[in-house]
Amino acid sequence: MRKSPGDAVFQFLVDNYLVVILILMVLPLWRVFMLSVTPQVDLSDRTFGMLVPPSRWSLAAYKQFLTHPSFLVAAGNSFLILGMGVSLSLFLTVPLAYVLSVRNLPGRRFLHTLVMIPFLFNPGLIPSYLVVTGLGLYDRLLAVVVPGAINVYNVFVMKNFFEGLPEELKEAARIDGASELYILFKVVIPLSKPILLTIGLFYGVHFWNDFFNAILYLGDARLQPLPILLRNILQAANFNEYVDIDVFSEARMESLKAASVFLTALPMLLIYPWIQRYFTKGTLSGGLKG
Amino acid sequence: MKTNASRAFLSLALVLCVALGAGAQAKPVEIELWITGTASEAGPPPADWAGYRIVRETLGIEMKISLLPTSFTDQDTKIVTAAAANRLPDILHVNRDVFIKLTKQGLLAPVDELMKKMPTRTKTHYDDPLRNKLAMYKGKMYGLPDPGKMPMTDGWVIRKDWLDKLGLPAPNTIEDFYKVAKAFTQNDPDGNGKNDTYGFGAYIETSDITNWGLGVRFDPILGAYGVTGMWDVTSAKSFGLNVRKPEFYDAMTFVARLNKDGLIDPDWTTLKKDEFRARWKQGKYGIMRENFAALSTVANYPAFDKNFPDGEWIPIPPPVGPKGKSSEGMLYVDTRIHVVSKRAIDAGKGDAVAKLLEWFATDGYALAMFGEKGVNFTLDAEGNVSTAGLPDPEKSYAKAANVPVLQLRNLASVNSDWELLPRYVPHKTINGRTIRPLDIWRYFTKQPWTEATAALLIEPPANKADFERYYTENLVKFALGQQELSPASWKAFLAGLDKLGAKELEKSAKAKVEEAGLLK
Repeated sequence: MRKSPGDAVFQFLVDNYLVVILILMVLPLWRVFMLSVTPQVDLSDRTFGMLVPPSRWSLAAYKQFLTHPSFLVAAGNSFLILGMGVSLSLFLTVPLAYVLSVRNLPGRRFLHTLVMIPFLFNPGLIPSYLVVTGLGLYDRLLAVVVPGAINVYNVFVMKNFFEGLPEELKEAARIDGASELYILFKVVIPLSKPILLTIGLFYGVHFWNDFFNAILYLGDARLQPLPILLRNILQAANFNEYVDIDVFSEARMESLKAASVFLTALPMLLIYPWIQRYFTKGTLSGGLKG
Repeated sequence: MKTNASRAFLSLALVLCVALGAGAQAKPVEIELWITGTASEAGPPPADWAGYRIVRETLGIEMKISLLPTSFTDQDTKIVTAAAANRLPDILHVNRDVFIKLTKQGLLAPVDELMKKMPTRTKTHYDDPLRNKLAMYKGKMYGLPDPGKMPMTDGWVIRKDWLDKLGLPAPNTIEDFYKVAKAFTQNDPDGNGKNDTYGFGAYIETSDITNWGLGVRFDPILGAYGVTGMWDVTSAKSFGLNVRKPEFYDAMTFVARLNKDGLIDPDWTTLKKDEFRARWKQGKYGIMRENFAALSTVANYPAFDKNFPDGEWIPIPPPVGPKGKSSEGMLYVDTRIHVVSKRAIDAGKGDAVAKLLEWFATDGYALAMFGEKGVNFTLDAEGNVSTAGLPDPEKSYAKAANVPVLQLRNLASVNSDWELLPRYVPHKTINGRTIRPLDIWRYFTKQPWTEATAALLIEPPANKADFERYYTENLVKFALGQQELSPASWKAFLAGLDKLGAKELEKSAKAKVEEAGLLK
């Protein structure tokens, strides 16, 4: 179909607008990356800020991180928290969302209200702390995973997606004698790949970036995830001149900061494009129907 | 027979009693510590750290150590949350604001009795009356004010090789400083034929309400006019913001002149610390205020040495102003307040806590500072710490990989010469000159400083962002000449500050400092 001149102009404007947005998004990331590879000698020359020629790149900061035991332990913890968190969250969210999506479920309204209460009225920090420590979870990775295992917003997005699936499919399965559990696993879940990946991504980002729970509940530094290490490094940069041994001594602190930001963001940057095609479908169909 | 049976029974009972007694004695008291590590980006002491074993075997104490986050905000959050849930550990490190809060809540134990049980530590760690005041609440000590960072670490330094080349004496007065800075800027002191040097190098280094404005790198210049720092806390009579003094106006006039004549690196308003340091290492600056370790340690000096093997930085006294005043900067009595929770005392752990802290000041002092003798360090003939003769040099205390075994230094350190010397070792430059970082530090400590410990207690106002921005931006604009510096414009600046609540801030700050007994 031939586009009218108006459509072409509109498309041109939209394209350019998106390019500008893209540049705005990419520039800070590029700057961080450049800083992470800027060698010490170039630091005082500000023209190198955005364009350090690859021949001058210094990977000392990355080398320092990737070979340092603290970084590897923290990265291991982060991946463990990510894996445990996303698995547990989906394991709990999917059945709850499915149950809430069954229209003729007795007591559905009551259950709905019950789920909404903690969404509207946050219990607060101290009660949560008492519960988590009371359960003996202090200094255990589960202390970071369990409190955020169910996000009510995600439950409702998923519930709405499930409600949007053709009721006839479930009815047909029920007529064939399938139990609700069977329907969930054999009918609903196979059709829900977009929402599972989308909600999984939401949970993944949450668990990957969460440092507050780790600060509260993880006293043992061997259990601390990447965001805590990153924050400690950024803070330590302020008074490192007072210490005789700089743990990350070979690279510049500014490069280390930038490298730590880049490395911490990298997994999410890699995952997003892979999930993107499901992302729009999942959020739209889950978010619009109610 | 009956007698034998009785004897056997008694013997058995005795054995059981001894065994039970021994068992009870063998069960160590668990002491949980939340402390700030030496380098929180490194890990905690490893499970096989000798300290755990020694403390268990000699004191009957099982240490459970958690390193607090580096950020004060994060530390406070963790501690305040645990406090609200009444789950404070036995010993912990707190900031003064949290210290006051926890004391008011009755969650901390008074330490007078504990201090009697640790006589050596009390003598070595708690001998400074001013520092002790920082751990008091209503005249009673609820905290253990351990020595903090080394004091007086930053000072006024100059390129001696440039002075020699231009045949100039080291500047004494603020006008001498101006003349030397001008010569360093205009007379090609490095002889490279380029106009690429500046007399004075600085950047805006501010961290809190004690140094908003131009920041601490300008302290010696402001000190020449008697207005170092943001606050005058030297007496109740003079207490207040330094900008109210006419001398501050004079100091700003001097800085503006310095800037107008191009004697200071024009990027000073936007430079970061790393950039500033990269520039003096590349020979851009002739005079600056710098940290002795950043300037001279074996880790930091080689980059400059490589560029300028004949270059030499020397410390000089801060410039003397028109009224004969001078100051290297603000002097803070720094402390790390360790507290003991009331919960620990209620659980009967008081004696164990005192024993453990005393151990860190006596038998455990060297272990905490440098690791295990014979493993992580050795002692030379003079008794100084060394790494010579270690069976496994990789286990040296000076290796970054071994930082975890030194994480409890903050519980032991007193900044003595014995502990500082091995940390700031003398070293030789490329051309064979010996640099002794501690000599530079000692030189700084002998210069005039402005006592400002009380300023540490001043809290920023509720409109901190607006206040700080207005204060700092205006001073920078005056210095850059972007805003005319005249009595009228200065008066208008002060009026604007008052509109933002400067008078109320001064009043509340004074009340707080007086309450702590830190104002003469």
